[in-house]
Amino acid sequence: MAKTIAIPGDRVEVHLSKVIYGGILLESPEDEKGIVLLKLDSGYNIGLNKKDIIEIKRIKKGEIKKERIEIKKDDKKPDIALILTGGTIVNRLDPKTGAVSPLTSPEDLFKSYPKIFDKVNVIKVEMPFMKASEDMDYKDWQNIAKICERLLNDKDVKGVVITHGTDILHYTSAVLSFFLRNLTKPVVLTYSQRSSDRASSDANLNLICSALAAVSDIAEVMLVGHANSNDEFCYAIPGTKTRKLHTSRRDAFKPVNAKPFAKIFPNKIEILSEHNVRKSGKVKADTKFEEKVALIKFYPGQDPDILDYYLKKGYKGIVVEALGLGHVAVNSRLSWIKKLKEVQKKMIVCFAAQTIYGRLDPYVYSNLREIMKTGVIYLEDMLAETAFVKLGWVLGHTTDKEKVKEMMLTNYARELNDRLEQ
Amino acid sequence: MTIDYAGIGLKSGLEIHQQLDSHKLYCNCPFLLRQDDPDFTITRKLHAVAGEAGEVDVAAAHEAGLDKEFVYQGYDTTCLVELDEEPPHEINKMALKIALHISLLLNCKIVPLSQIMRKTVIDGSNTSGFQRTVLIARDGYVETSKGKVGIWFLYLEEDAARTVSEDKNRKTYRLDRLGGPMVEVVTAPDIKDAEHAKETALKIGEILRSASVKRGIGTIRQDINISIAGHPRAEIKGFQDPKIFVDVVNKEIERQIEEIKSGKELVPEVRGANDDGSTKFLRPLPGSARMYPETDLPLLKISKEMINEAKKTLPRLRSEVEPELRKEGLDDQFIDLLFKQGKVGLYRELYYLLPKGNFIAKMILLFPKEFATKKKMDVEEVEKILEDNYASVLNLLVKKKIKESHIKEILGRLVEGVGLEEAIKFESVDVADLEEEIHKIIKSKPGLNANAYMGLVMKDLKGKIGGKEAMEIIKKLMK
Repeated sequence: MAKTIAIPGDRVEVHLSKVIYGGILLESPEDEKGIVLLKLDSGYNIGLNKKDIIEIKRIKKGEIKKERIEIKKDDKKPDIALILTGGTIVNRLDPKTGAVSPLTSPEDLFKSYPKIFDKVNVIKVEMPFMKASEDMDYKDWQNIAKICERLLNDKDVKGVVITHGTDILHYTSAVLSFFLRNLTKPVVLTYSQRSSDRASSDANLNLICSALAAVSDIAEVMLVGHANSNDEFCYAIPGTKTRKLHTSRRDAFKPVNAKPFAKIFPNKIEILSEHNVRKSGKVKADTKFEEKVALIKFYPGQDPDILDYYLKKGYKGIVVEALGLGHVAVNSRLSWIKKLKEVQKKMIVCFAAQTIYGRLDPYVYSNLREIMKTGVIYLEDMLAETAFVKLGWVLGHTTDKEKVKEMMLTNYARELNDRLEQ
Repeated sequence: MTIDYAGIGLKSGLEIHQQLDSHKLYCNCPFLLRQDDPDFTITRKLHAVAGEAGEVDVAAAHEAGLDKEFVYQGYDTTCLVELDEEPPHEINKMALKIALHISLLLNCKIVPLSQIMRKTVIDGSNTSGFQRTVLIARDGYVETSKGKVGIWFLYLEEDAARTVSEDKNRKTYRLDRLGGPMVEVVTAPDIKDAEHAKETALKIGEILRSASVKRGIGTIRQDINISIAGHPRAEIKGFQDPKIFVDVVNKEIERQIEEIKSGKELVPEVRGANDDGSTKFLRPLPGSARMYPETDLPLLKISKEMINEAKKTLPRLRSEVEPELRKEGLDDQFIDLLFKQGKVGLYRELYYLLPKGNFIAKMILLFPKEFATKKKMDVEEVEKILEDNYASVLNLLVKKKIKESHIKEILGRLVEGVGLEEAIKFESVDVADLEEEIHKIIKSKPGLNANAYMGLVMKDLKGKIGGKEAMEIIKKLMK
């Protein structure tokens, strides 16, 4: 194909050997760089192989229409701050060029989600980074926590809403629960499973309910999202007690071993469980974090030597997702007992439940008692992902084994619940 | 009134939607319409979204103004894809093959690389807020008595959910139809007059029905675009029956003439056809602004191999097949039924086993209904059992393991759930014994006619004797 001056958005003529196609040139798909995409006048897009193209003629330069929308501040409404971190909820497909770009300003947000502005003024929008959540790590969590600290200590801000990709959202909500304790105002994390370009996007209800949560009296880190498949109400779930439990449904996040704080409708909040309430004072983020922690899952026949790898790599602690009430192999050819004793001279080992729901109990079977005798810390009903970030946070404060154990079993942010009702 | 169609500058083209006979287009649910109570319902809202250039499409804005709550009825034959809770699966290969067949029959050029698009639809009929549609082919034609009518485009798209009920704030839909595969055939504005519109629609209809498509009421929907010089295009929706085409076209032309005379501002619009051929305003005509790519699916590649495979399996048109069927001894009624019930393929397969046209046609066209009524079963259920067994039963006949006169009885037993081995067992009875039995029957009720005795004989000697044979004996004994 000969070189062309045409860029995505331009009206062009694409000349093949036998036929000429007219339309708007689009961005080539990421994974199909050998293809030119063209929007025909009917609105349909077709692909043309670059090697079949003789020439692309520019007929008319594309116009970039930048409409400015002015959002008026309404003094009667409470003010909130937004932190945008990436994910489906802030991605917008530009159909003119085929490119995906993030929403970056309150105006962009207003265009996509006008309804959030019905209840509140969004007076600050912070955008520390734009990442798919799977690309995040603890440094991003520290970054978000510091911004939260600053916004929460701003007397004009009534609460903070964080938008986030769904894949690791429950890790972030858990770690922020440890980084931001003694909260004075709500910190709300929310998401979407259906992108903003579709009329059915779940982001609308999630954002409206998040805005209500952010101006409520619930001074907690909480995750707000669809309670079921209906566009009816959301749950506000404690940040340490939730997990993504479905790959694609709107109600992917469920409370696990806990009750939601509240049921939030677009026009009212129904409180469901005990929570800390809004108060005056300053918030101080406590973001110390040990990077050398790991989370692994025990599977049948797993060789305990896997623990040597982590030890050699300098890991300070590891959370094992154990079977049932807290089992790993004890009497088999690949018994973990000896290795567990060995590695715990230098590394913390905690067990959390692979079953997701329920509590570990190291006393029910003799095998369990044997494992416990090696020194493993059984984390009660704590979710494995919460346990992983908590271990990083605890090891950021101390390396003393007894102190670590004491802190892991201390309830800092509702991560432990001694009364399971389900 | 006679209309000078060329003189008024008539521009008219058709858009024909035809449901295909395969599973749903982007999930593995059957395309099955349900009449029973739903298993569950969910409630959703839709929101206006900014279109291509940031502006909200006129048609979309018109619908969003309604701000309704949508209730969806789900079944065990729908899944998370219809609920907009799971990304679409890969496009259904069978549906794609049928679409390629239709494209080839319409002399179209197939588009080798096409992007599956989302067409914004926010009247609630799609849970996602859009309909998935993809350009499959373009630049074809059909021959008509008034010359070629161009086929501009052939799209493969999803059907919408069915409306169950509607009030001011709430609209209820059934998810059974949502996602069903459909082709849309768009003709060029080559239609010359009202009669020509009807002829073209019937011609395209015949081509569609030769492929593997759904049959019956509601499986084909026709829209017609009409404009005369000085008037913008009106799209008239909702034809089931091409017979009213002539009326609709003529009445719409009259309406447009009146509108031009009135001097008011004219806009492109979508209108609905009434039964009397008049039309009513539905909504403004949507622009191309409501189309954007389906980002959850890769580009659709239609390889040369796929096109060649489609060519090899290309169905034939009725006009080609009909003379052959007539040659095989079928009358018009049987031929018509074969096409109506979509059983030409089945007939062909069985005729290949046993070249007795009328016998096979009777077997596959008349027996199923008869069994269903007699045994109080669903016709579809009966047909399913029979279609699994026709070939094996005919094979036994060809091998002379069974008699032709026993076929109906055997099939009837199979429908009742009797195994094949058991179903073909008949007591071999001596003709003399049979004559004696029949003689007894006649004697016990003297004075009846032959047909009446026939009924009694068949009741008593069911399975022992064929009808033809019995009648011969009755007639002989009555002499």
